[in-house]
Amino acid sequence: MPRWDAYQMSVDASCFTPLGLQPTAVCRLGFNAAGRWLSEHALSHRRLVAEYQTGFVLWSAQVIFDQPVTFFDSDCLEMRVMGRIRGGGTQFECEVEVDSARGITTRMQACCVPLRLDGDSALTGAPARLGSGVMEAFRPDEIEVRPHRSPAPGLLVAILRDGTELARGRTPFVIHRHQCEVADQWYWPEAVSLASGGREELVRVESARVPALRLSLSTPLRRLDLLFNRPFFLFDEGAVLSSAHEWQGRLVFVHELVGFEGGEPRALAIEQFTTLLSDRAWN
Amino acid sequence: MMIRVSGALLRFTDYRRVISVPAPTVGAALTSLADDYQSLKPVLFDREGRVRATHQIFLNGEQLTREQLTRPAGDADSVDLLLAVSGG
Repeated sequence: MPRWDAYQMSVDASCFTPLGLQPTAVCRLGFNAAGRWLSEHALSHRRLVAEYQTGFVLWSAQVIFDQPVTFFDSDCLEMRVMGRIRGGGTQFECEVEVDSARGITTRMQACCVPLRLDGDSALTGAPARLGSGVMEAFRPDEIEVRPHRSPAPGLLVAILRDGTELARGRTPFVIHRHQCEVADQWYWPEAVSLASGGREELVRVESARVPALRLSLSTPLRRLDLLFNRPFFLFDEGAVLSSAHEWQGRLVFVHELVGFEGGEPRALAIEQFTTLLSDRAWN
Repeated sequence: MMIRVSGALLRFTDYRRVISVPAPTVGAALTSLADDYQSLKPVLFDREGRVRATHQIFLNGEQLTREQLTRPAGDADSVDLLLAVSGG
Protein backbone atom coordinates (compact mmCIF):
# COMPACT_ATOMS: atom_id res chain seq x y z
CA MET A 1 0.00 0.00 0.00
CA PRO A 2 1.38 3.44 -0.85
CA ARG A 3 2.04 5.57 2.19
CA TRP A 4 -0.64 8.09 3.16
CA ASP A 5 -0.17 11.12 5.40
CA ALA A 6 -2.96 12.53 7.54
CA TYR A 7 -2.94 15.84 9.36
CA GLN A 8 -5.12 18.76 10.32
CA MET A 9 -5.02 22.11 8.56
CA SER A 10 -6.39 25.27 10.09
CA VAL A 11 -8.53 27.22 7.67
CA ASP A 12 -9.67 30.81 7.61
CA ALA A 13 -12.48 32.70 5.95
CA SER A 14 -10.40 33.40 2.83
CA CYS A 15 -10.57 29.69 1.91
CA PHE A 16 -14.33 29.82 1.38
CA THR A 17 -17.08 31.28 -0.74
CA PRO A 18 -20.61 31.49 0.68
CA LEU A 19 -21.15 28.05 -0.89
CA GLY A 20 -18.05 26.14 0.17
CA LEU A 21 -14.32 25.75 -0.29
CA GLN A 22 -12.76 28.02 -2.90
CA PRO A 23 -11.45 25.83 -5.74
CA THR A 24 -8.20 27.83 -5.74
CA ALA A 25 -7.83 27.19 -2.01
CA VAL A 26 -8.30 23.45 -2.58
CA CYS A 27 -5.55 23.48 -5.20
CA ARG A 28 -3.21 25.43 -2.91
CA LEU A 29 -3.95 23.10 0.03
CA GLY A 30 -3.52 20.09 -2.25
CA PHE A 31 -0.18 21.20 -3.64
CA ASN A 32 1.00 22.00 -0.13
CA ALA A 33 -0.09 18.51 0.93
CA ALA A 34 1.87 16.93 -1.93
CA GLY A 35 4.94 18.88 -0.89
CA ARG A 36 4.47 17.72 2.67
CA TRP A 37 4.18 14.09 1.54
CA LEU A 38 7.34 14.39 -0.55
CA SER A 39 9.18 15.90 2.38
CA GLU A 40 8.01 13.24 4.84
CA HIS A 41 8.47 10.17 2.65
CA ALA A 42 10.83 10.97 -0.20
CA LEU A 43 12.69 14.25 -0.72
CA SER A 44 11.50 17.77 0.00
CA HIS A 45 10.75 19.97 -2.99
CA ARG A 46 13.62 22.24 -1.93
CA ARG A 47 16.09 19.34 -1.85
CA LEU A 48 14.78 18.02 -5.16
CA VAL A 49 15.55 21.35 -6.78
CA ALA A 50 18.76 22.27 -4.94
CA GLU A 51 20.44 18.86 -4.61
CA TYR A 52 18.90 16.65 -7.28
CA GLN A 53 18.39 19.29 -10.01
CA THR A 54 14.82 18.08 -10.33
CA GLY A 55 11.75 20.26 -10.61
CA PHE A 56 8.10 19.47 -11.09
CA VAL A 57 5.56 21.25 -13.24
CA LEU A 58 1.88 20.46 -13.00
CA TRP A 59 0.42 18.89 -16.12
CA SER A 60 -3.03 17.65 -15.18
CA ALA A 61 -5.38 17.89 -12.20
CA GLN A 62 -8.93 16.91 -11.33
CA VAL A 63 -10.85 18.13 -8.30
CA ILE A 64 -14.14 16.49 -7.31
CA PHE A 65 -16.31 18.27 -4.76
CA ASP A 66 -18.32 15.46 -3.16
CA GLN A 67 -20.22 17.70 -0.79
CA PRO A 68 -19.81 21.32 0.22
CA VAL A 69 -18.04 22.26 3.42
CA THR A 70 -18.55 25.80 4.64
CA PHE A 71 -16.56 28.12 6.85
CA PHE A 72 -18.97 27.40 9.72
CA ASP A 73 -18.59 23.61 9.61
CA SER A 74 -15.25 23.28 11.41
CA ASP A 75 -12.09 25.09 12.47
CA CYS A 76 -9.82 22.60 10.75
CA LEU A 77 -9.85 20.37 7.71
CA GLU A 78 -8.54 16.82 7.85
CA MET A 79 -6.06 16.37 5.02
CA ARG A 80 -5.02 12.97 3.64
CA VAL A 81 -2.39 12.73 0.93
CA MET A 82 -0.37 10.11 -0.91
CA GLY A 83 2.19 10.33 -3.68
CA ARG A 84 3.55 7.94 -6.27
CA ILE A 85 5.61 7.78 -9.42
CA ARG A 86 3.85 6.87 -12.63
CA GLY A 87 4.87 6.23 -16.20
CA GLY A 88 8.14 4.62 -15.12
CA GLY A 89 9.51 7.85 -13.70
CA THR A 90 8.00 10.34 -16.15
CA GLN A 91 5.26 11.54 -13.80
CA PHE A 92 4.67 12.26 -10.11
CA GLU A 93 1.06 11.88 -9.07
CA CYS A 94 -0.59 12.80 -5.80
CA GLU A 95 -4.04 12.11 -4.42
CA VAL A 96 -5.46 14.39 -1.78
CA GLU A 97 -8.63 14.00 0.26
CA VAL A 98 -10.12 16.83 2.27
CA ASP A 99 -12.33 15.72 5.15
CA SER A 100 -14.40 17.75 7.54
CA ALA A 101 -16.78 16.88 10.35
CA ARG A 102 -19.24 16.01 7.54
CA GLY A 103 -16.93 13.39 6.01
CA ILE A 104 -14.94 13.49 2.81
CA THR A 105 -15.79 16.69 1.01
CA THR A 106 -13.24 17.06 -1.74
CA ARG A 107 -10.80 14.86 -3.66
CA MET A 108 -7.94 16.06 -5.81
CA GLN A 109 -5.72 14.09 -8.14
CA ALA A 110 -2.78 15.95 -9.65
CA CYS A 111 -0.04 14.81 -11.98
CA CYS A 112 3.29 16.59 -12.41
CA VAL A 113 5.99 16.14 -15.03
CA PRO A 114 9.58 16.07 -13.75
CA LEU A 115 12.11 18.49 -15.17
CA ARG A 116 15.85 18.04 -15.31
CA LEU A 117 17.12 21.47 -14.30
CA ASP A 118 20.07 23.07 -16.06
CA GLY A 119 21.49 24.33 -12.77
CA ASP A 120 21.17 28.06 -13.48
CA SER A 121 19.46 30.52 -11.20
CA ALA A 122 16.37 30.83 -13.44
CA LEU A 123 15.71 27.13 -12.73
CA THR A 124 15.45 26.43 -16.45
CA GLY A 125 14.84 22.82 -17.28
CA ALA A 126 13.38 20.31 -19.68
CA PRO A 127 11.10 17.32 -19.14
CA ALA A 128 13.08 14.20 -18.22
CA ARG A 129 12.62 10.88 -16.47
CA LEU A 130 13.34 10.98 -12.74
CA GLY A 131 16.90 10.00 -11.86
CA SER A 132 17.69 6.87 -9.86
CA GLY A 133 18.56 8.92 -6.76
CA VAL A 134 15.02 10.27 -6.64
CA MET A 135 13.35 6.98 -7.64
CA GLU A 136 15.07 5.20 -4.74
CA ALA A 137 13.18 7.39 -2.28
CA PHE A 138 9.92 5.71 -3.31
CA ARG A 139 8.80 2.24 -2.29
CA PRO A 140 8.14 -0.33 -5.03
CA ASP A 141 4.40 -0.06 -4.49
CA GLU A 142 4.67 3.70 -5.04
CA ILE A 143 6.09 3.25 -8.55
CA GLU A 144 3.56 2.45 -11.22
CA VAL A 145 4.50 1.69 -14.81
CA ARG A 146 1.22 2.90 -16.31
CA PRO A 147 1.15 6.64 -16.97
CA HIS A 148 -1.56 8.96 -15.74
CA ARG A 149 -3.96 9.86 -18.55
CA SER A 150 -5.68 13.22 -18.31
CA PRO A 151 -9.45 13.04 -18.84
CA ALA A 152 -9.56 16.72 -19.86
CA PRO A 153 -9.04 16.35 -23.65
CA GLY A 154 -11.80 13.75 -23.97
CA LEU A 155 -14.10 15.78 -21.75
CA LEU A 156 -13.56 18.86 -23.90
CA VAL A 157 -14.37 16.95 -27.08
CA ALA A 158 -17.58 15.56 -25.55
CA ILE A 159 -18.77 18.96 -24.32
CA LEU A 160 -18.11 20.68 -27.64
CA ARG A 161 -19.66 17.80 -29.60
CA ASP A 162 -22.74 17.07 -27.51
CA GLY A 163 -23.36 20.26 -25.52
CA THR A 164 -25.18 23.46 -26.39
CA GLU A 165 -23.19 26.68 -26.18
CA LEU A 166 -24.97 29.33 -24.12
CA ALA A 167 -22.52 32.23 -24.09
CA ARG A 168 -18.93 33.15 -24.83
CA GLY A 169 -16.55 35.84 -23.54
CA ARG A 170 -12.94 37.01 -23.28
CA THR A 171 -11.26 38.32 -20.14
CA PRO A 172 -7.72 39.70 -20.53
CA PHE A 173 -5.13 39.44 -17.74
CA VAL A 174 -1.51 40.19 -16.90
CA ILE A 175 0.50 37.95 -14.59
CA HIS A 176 1.97 39.73 -11.57
CA ARG A 177 4.45 38.54 -9.02
CA HIS A 178 1.94 37.71 -6.30
CA GLN A 179 0.60 35.08 -8.72
CA CYS A 180 4.02 33.47 -9.25
CA GLU A 181 6.30 31.00 -7.51
CA VAL A 182 10.00 31.28 -6.78
CA ALA A 183 11.09 31.39 -10.43
CA ASP A 184 8.68 34.17 -11.51
CA GLN A 185 6.59 31.49 -13.20
CA TRP A 186 2.88 31.43 -12.41
CA TYR A 187 1.80 29.25 -9.53
CA TRP A 188 -0.60 26.82 -11.23
CA PRO A 189 -3.60 27.36 -8.87
CA GLU A 190 -3.72 30.86 -10.39
CA ALA A 191 -5.16 29.17 -13.48
CA VAL A 192 -8.17 28.30 -11.35
CA SER A 193 -8.49 31.89 -10.12
CA LEU A 194 -8.21 33.26 -13.65
CA ALA A 195 -10.77 30.75 -14.95
CA SER A 196 -13.17 31.63 -12.13
CA GLY A 197 -12.70 35.30 -12.96
CA GLY A 198 -13.42 34.59 -16.62
CA ARG A 199 -16.61 32.77 -15.67
CA GLU A 200 -17.80 35.54 -13.36
CA GLU A 201 -17.15 38.15 -16.05
CA LEU A 202 -19.21 36.06 -18.46
CA VAL A 203 -22.01 35.90 -15.90
CA ARG A 204 -21.78 39.63 -15.22
CA VAL A 205 -21.95 40.56 -18.90
CA GLU A 206 -24.29 37.89 -20.29
CA SER A 207 -26.66 36.85 -17.51
CA ALA A 208 -29.34 39.34 -18.54
CA ARG A 209 -29.50 37.46 -21.86
CA VAL A 210 -28.85 33.99 -20.38
CA PRO A 211 -30.19 33.92 -16.78
CA ALA A 212 -29.08 30.30 -16.31
CA LEU A 213 -25.49 31.52 -16.05
CA ARG A 214 -26.28 32.91 -12.60
CA LEU A 215 -26.67 29.35 -11.31
CA SER A 216 -22.88 29.16 -11.28
CA LEU A 217 -22.91 31.74 -8.50
CA SER A 218 -25.61 30.08 -6.42
CA THR A 219 -24.76 26.38 -6.73
CA PRO A 220 -21.48 24.67 -5.82
CA LEU A 221 -18.86 23.51 -8.27
CA ARG A 222 -19.04 19.73 -8.69
CA ARG A 223 -15.92 18.98 -10.70
CA LEU A 224 -12.90 20.84 -12.02
CA ASP A 225 -10.52 19.50 -14.68
CA LEU A 226 -7.24 21.23 -15.48
CA LEU A 227 -4.67 20.65 -18.20
CA PHE A 228 -1.46 22.63 -18.65
CA ASN A 229 0.59 22.98 -21.83
CA ARG A 230 2.86 25.94 -21.11
CA PRO A 231 3.24 28.23 -18.12
CA PHE A 232 2.76 31.98 -17.94
CA PHE A 233 5.51 34.12 -16.47
CA LEU A 234 5.80 37.50 -14.77
CA PHE A 235 4.20 40.29 -16.86
CA ASP A 236 2.98 37.82 -19.50
CA GLU A 237 -0.24 39.03 -21.06
CA GLY A 238 -3.03 36.63 -21.82
CA ALA A 239 -6.75 36.14 -21.91
CA VAL A 240 -9.29 33.69 -20.59
CA LEU A 241 -11.57 32.56 -23.40
CA SER A 242 -14.64 31.33 -21.54
CA SER A 243 -17.67 29.57 -22.93
CA ALA A 244 -20.74 28.30 -21.09
CA HIS A 245 -22.49 25.12 -22.19
CA GLU A 246 -25.43 22.96 -21.29
CA TRP A 247 -24.06 19.43 -21.34
CA GLN A 248 -25.81 16.33 -20.03
CA GLY A 249 -28.28 18.62 -18.26
CA ARG A 250 -25.50 20.41 -16.40
CA LEU A 251 -24.08 23.89 -16.56
CA VAL A 252 -20.47 23.62 -17.73
CA PHE A 253 -17.83 26.26 -18.41
CA VAL A 254 -14.78 25.77 -20.62
CA HIS A 255 -11.89 28.19 -20.12
CA GLU A 256 -8.92 28.36 -22.45
CA LEU A 257 -6.04 30.45 -21.14
CA VAL A 258 -4.19 31.82 -24.14
CA GLY A 259 -1.04 33.90 -24.40
CA PHE A 260 -0.46 36.99 -26.52
CA GLU A 261 1.01 34.77 -29.22
CA GLY A 262 -2.34 33.02 -29.80
CA GLY A 263 -2.28 29.44 -30.98
CA GLU A 264 -2.74 26.52 -28.65
CA PRO A 265 -4.05 27.43 -25.18
CA ARG A 266 -1.42 27.38 -22.47
CA ALA A 267 -3.95 25.93 -20.04
CA LEU A 268 -7.46 24.52 -20.04
CA ALA A 269 -9.96 24.54 -17.18
CA ILE A 270 -13.37 22.85 -17.31
CA GLU A 271 -15.86 23.59 -14.53
CA GLN A 272 -18.99 21.44 -14.03
CA PHE A 273 -21.69 22.64 -11.66
CA THR A 274 -24.03 20.48 -9.63
CA THR A 275 -27.09 22.22 -10.91
CA LEU A 276 -29.35 20.48 -13.38
CA LEU A 277 -30.65 23.02 -15.81
CA SER A 278 -34.44 23.08 -15.74
CA ASP A 279 -37.03 25.09 -17.61
CA ARG A 280 -37.18 27.38 -14.59
CA ALA A 281 -33.55 28.31 -15.07
CA TRP A 282 -34.28 29.76 -18.49
CA ASN A 283 -36.89 32.26 -17.32
CA MET B 1 17.88 45.15 -33.17
CA MET B 2 15.37 45.13 -30.36
CA ILE B 3 15.42 42.18 -27.99
CA ARG B 4 12.23 41.59 -26.04
CA VAL B 5 12.85 39.77 -22.78
CA SER B 6 10.01 38.22 -20.86
CA GLY B 7 8.95 36.26 -17.84
CA ALA B 8 11.50 34.54 -15.67
CA LEU B 9 14.39 36.25 -17.49
CA LEU B 10 13.35 39.77 -16.55
CA ARG B 11 15.13 39.76 -13.23
CA PHE B 12 18.40 39.23 -15.09
CA THR B 13 17.91 42.38 -17.19
CA ASP B 14 16.92 44.61 -14.28
CA TYR B 15 13.31 44.18 -15.42
CA ARG B 16 13.92 45.91 -18.74
CA ARG B 17 11.60 44.27 -21.24
CA VAL B 18 12.81 45.83 -24.49
CA ILE B 19 16.52 46.33 -25.01
CA SER B 20 18.20 47.76 -28.08
CA VAL B 21 21.34 45.82 -29.04
CA PRO B 22 23.44 46.79 -32.07
CA ALA B 23 24.76 43.55 -33.60
CA PRO B 24 25.00 41.98 -37.06
CA THR B 25 23.33 38.65 -36.22
CA VAL B 26 20.84 37.28 -33.72
CA GLY B 27 23.52 35.21 -32.02
CA ALA B 28 25.86 38.19 -31.73
CA ALA B 29 23.01 40.23 -30.24
CA LEU B 30 22.38 37.60 -27.57
CA THR B 31 26.09 37.53 -26.72
CA SER B 32 26.15 41.30 -26.48
CA LEU B 33 23.05 41.27 -24.27
CA ALA B 34 24.68 38.76 -21.93
CA ASP B 35 27.83 40.92 -21.82
CA ASP B 36 25.74 43.88 -20.70
CA TYR B 37 23.80 41.82 -18.15
CA GLN B 38 26.36 39.45 -16.67
CA SER B 39 23.92 37.50 -14.49
CA LEU B 40 22.00 36.57 -17.64
CA LYS B 41 25.00 34.83 -19.19
CA PRO B 42 24.88 31.52 -17.22
CA VAL B 43 21.12 31.44 -17.62
CA LEU B 44 21.16 31.97 -21.36
CA PHE B 45 24.28 30.03 -22.32
CA ASP B 46 25.64 26.65 -21.25
CA ARG B 47 29.30 26.06 -20.34
CA GLU B 48 30.20 25.54 -23.97
CA GLY B 49 28.73 28.93 -24.85
CA ARG B 50 25.69 27.53 -26.64
CA VAL B 51 22.23 28.94 -26.06
CA ARG B 52 20.48 26.55 -23.70
CA ALA B 53 17.82 24.38 -25.30
CA THR B 54 15.27 25.57 -22.75
CA HIS B 55 15.10 29.00 -24.41
CA GLN B 56 13.01 29.77 -27.45
CA ILE B 57 14.21 32.51 -29.77
CA PHE B 58 12.01 34.22 -32.33
CA LEU B 59 13.11 36.65 -35.06
CA ASN B 60 10.17 38.81 -36.14
CA GLY B 61 7.86 36.06 -34.92
CA GLU B 62 9.67 33.17 -36.59
CA GLN B 63 11.16 30.63 -34.21
CA LEU B 64 14.85 30.00 -34.86
CA THR B 65 16.84 26.85 -34.29
CA ARG B 66 20.27 27.05 -32.66
CA GLU B 67 21.81 26.75 -36.12
CA GLN B 68 19.83 29.74 -37.38
CA LEU B 69 21.21 32.17 -34.81
CA THR B 70 23.82 33.26 -37.35
CA ARG B 71 21.02 34.86 -39.35
CA PRO B 72 21.68 38.56 -40.05
CA ALA B 73 19.37 41.09 -38.45
CA GLY B 74 19.18 44.86 -38.52
CA ASP B 75 17.88 47.78 -36.47
CA ALA B 76 14.30 47.23 -37.58
CA ASP B 77 14.23 43.59 -36.53
CA SER B 78 12.96 42.31 -33.21
CA VAL B 79 13.98 39.22 -31.30
CA ASP B 80 11.81 37.59 -28.66
CA LEU B 81 13.58 35.61 -25.98
CA LEU B 82 11.27 33.19 -24.18
CA LEU B 83 11.85 30.61 -21.50
CA ALA B 84 9.78 27.49 -22.19
CA VAL B 85 9.41 26.27 -18.62
CA SER B 86 10.98 26.68 -15.22
CA GLY B 87 11.24 24.14 -12.48
CA GLY B 88 10.38 26.14 -9.41
